[in-house]
Amino acid sequence: MSDFLRQYLLVILFALLAVGVVGAFIGLASLLRPNRPSKGKLENYESGVDPVGSGWSQSQIRYYIFALLFVMFDVEAVFIFPWATRLEEYGYFGLLEMVIFIAILTLGLGYAWRKGVLRWA
Amino acid sequence: MTLAFLAQQTIERIPFDSPTIDWHAFAPEAILLAWTCLVVVVDMVGLERARRFMPGLTGVGFLLATIPVLTLWNDGATRSLFEGAYVVDRYALALKGLFLISGYVVVLLSTQYMADGDYYDSEYYILLASSVLGMTVMASARDLITIFVALELLSIPAYLLAAWRKRDLKSNEAGLKYMLMGIFASAIMLYGMSLLYGVAGDTRLSVIAEKLTSEGTKPLLTLAALFTIIGFAFKVSAVPFHTWAPDTYEGAPTPLTAFLAVASKAAGFVAMVTIITTAFPGQADVVEPFMWVLSALTMSIGNLIAMRQTNIVRMLAYSGVAQAGYIMAPLAVYSQTGQNGVSAASAIVNYLIIYSAMNLGAFAVVIAAARKTRSGEISSFGGMLNYAPGLTTAMTVFLFSLAGIPPMGGWLAKWQVFSVLLQSESTWGTTLALVAAVNTVLAAFYYLNVAKQMWFMPAPDGDTSRVRVPPSLVAALAITVIATLLSGVTGLVPDITDFGSIALGR
Repeated sequence: MSDFLRQYLLVILFALLAVGVVGAFIGLASLLRPNRPSKGKLENYESGVDPVGSGWSQSQIRYYIFALLFVMFDVEAVFIFPWATRLEEYGYFGLLEMVIFIAILTLGLGYAWRKGVLRWA
Repeated sequence: MTLAFLAQQTIERIPFDSPTIDWHAFAPEAILLAWTCLVVVVDMVGLERARRFMPGLTGVGFLLATIPVLTLWNDGATRSLFEGAYVVDRYALALKGLFLISGYVVVLLSTQYMADGDYYDSEYYILLASSVLGMTVMASARDLITIFVALELLSIPAYLLAAWRKRDLKSNEAGLKYMLMGIFASAIMLYGMSLLYGVAGDTRLSVIAEKLTSEGTKPLLTLAALFTIIGFAFKVSAVPFHTWAPDTYEGAPTPLTAFLAVASKAAGFVAMVTIITTAFPGQADVVEPFMWVLSALTMSIGNLIAMRQTNIVRMLAYSGVAQAGYIMAPLAVYSQTGQNGVSAASAIVNYLIIYSAMNLGAFAVVIAAARKTRSGEISSFGGMLNYAPGLTTAMTVFLFSLAGIPPMGGWLAKWQVFSVLLQSESTWGTTLALVAAVNTVLAAFYYLNVAKQMWFMPAPDGDTSRVRVPPSLVAALAITVIATLLSGVTGLVPDITDFGSIALGR
C-alpha cells in the first residue's frame, strides 16, 4: 500500500473508531442498565415543568429579540472583562480598539431602539 | 485566591506591543466598515423616507472602497500586517476588487427587484455590505482565526438574506438549509483547524507551513488538512457537499442567488487556495489526490444533473457546481507546477474573475426576463429573440462564455486551467484534464439548449410584448458583457505572481 493511501486509511480508521466508541457506550449501557419503561419517561422534558399543549405552540416573537440583544451584550462583557484587567498594558491602542467595538454594538442597539423593537406593547 | 493570583502572574509576564497599522493597506476594509455604519445611521434617521436612497448609497460605498484597492495595486508593494496574519499583495487586491465590483453589480441587480416587492430594503443592503466586508477580509487573511472570522462575517448575513422573501415557504427553506449546512461546515472546519493548531502550535499559515515541513507527515495532519478543506468544500458547493445549493439558489431572491453563486463561492475558493498553497506546500501527497477526486466528482456530477433541469435558476445552480469543479482542478497539481503553486493560484483567481462576470450577467438576464414571464422555466425563454433581441444577445454571450467557446472570457479561463493541468506533466494532471475536456463538451449541451430556446423556439404563450428593462439592470448587463468580452478578446487578466512572496519568504 502506498504512503498516501495509508494516510487515508487512517481517516477511515478514525471514522470507524468514532462510530465504534459511541456504539460501544450505548450498547454497554443497554446491557447494564435496568429497563423499567413508564409513561412519565416518554414525556417531553421542559426544564422540570410539565409540558403544556402541543409541540407546535407559539411563543411571543418579542422574547426572541430580547434574547438576541442579551446575547449581544453578553458577548460584549466577555470581551471587556479580560480587556479591563490589562488596560494599562494596552494603552491608547487598546482603548481605541474597545471604543470602536462598543461604538459598533451601540449602533446595533440604537438601530433596534429606533425600529421600535424595544417597545413591548 | 490562588487561581486568580496565578492567572495574574501569568498574564503580567506577557508584554504587549501595540501593532503598527498600515492604514493604506487597511483602507478598503476601513472605508467599507465606516460606510456600512453610515448606511445604518441613514436608515435609523430616515426610516421609510431613506428606503429609496439605500441602493445608491450602498453602491457608492462599494465604489469608494475600490479606490484604495486601485492605489494599492498601482503601488505594487506587498504589505504584511499583524506579523504576517494579514497580507495585502496583488493576489489579495485582485480578489478585493472582484468582491467589491461583484457587490456593486449585485446592488444594481437588486435595486428594482427589492423596490418592487414588499421587502425590507434598508436591511438588505446593509447585510449585503457586511457580507462583502467579510469577503474583502478573507482575501487578505493568512491566519486561521482571521479566516474563520471572515468566513462567519460573510456567511451569517448571507443566511439571513437567503430567507429574505419571508412570506414564501421556498425562501424559508432556502435560508434554513443554507444556515444548517453552513454551520455544519463551520463545525467540521473548526475541528480541522483545531487539529492543525495542535500539530503546528501557531495559527499563522506561514508558520504552520514551516512547522509541518520540519515535523514530517503525521496521521493527525492528514485529518486536520482534510477537515479544513471539507469546510470550504461546502462553501464552494463541491460534490458531495453540494446538496444545499440548488434548493437555496431556487428559494432565495434571485439577485441574492447571483451573489451566493458568485461572490460567496469565490470567497470559499480564496480561503481554500490560501490555506492549501500557503499552509500545505509540503503536504501535496495528502491534499492533491483529495482535490483530484473532489474536482472530478464535482464537474461530472454537476454537469450530469444540470442537463436534466427545466428551471433556469436550478440549471445555473448545478452549472455553478460544475464550474466549481473546473476552478478547483489546478489544486490537484499545485505542487508540480510553476513557482510552488503560484501558477495554480493565478489560474484559479483569473477563472473566478471571469466566472463572476459571466455568471452575474446570466443572472441579470434571468431577472430581467422574469419581469415579463414571471417564470423560471427554461421553456419560458422561447421566442425571446423576437421581443427582446438585446437580452437574447447578452444571454448568448454569457452562455457561450460559460460553455468556454472563444472569443468569450470563459474560454481564456478554461484554457488557463487546462494549461496548468498539462504543465504538471503527470498522470494525475493529464487524466484530470481529460475528465475536464469531456465535461466541457457535456456542458455545452445544456448551455446551448437555453440559447436554442431563445433563438429558434416560439414564445410559449404567444405573448411578444416588449420587456421593460430598468436602467440599473442595463448598467449591470453592460458591465458584465464588457468584462466577459474584454477578458476573452484581449486576454486581459490581473497578474498576481507576487502571491506568497511574504507568506513563505520566497
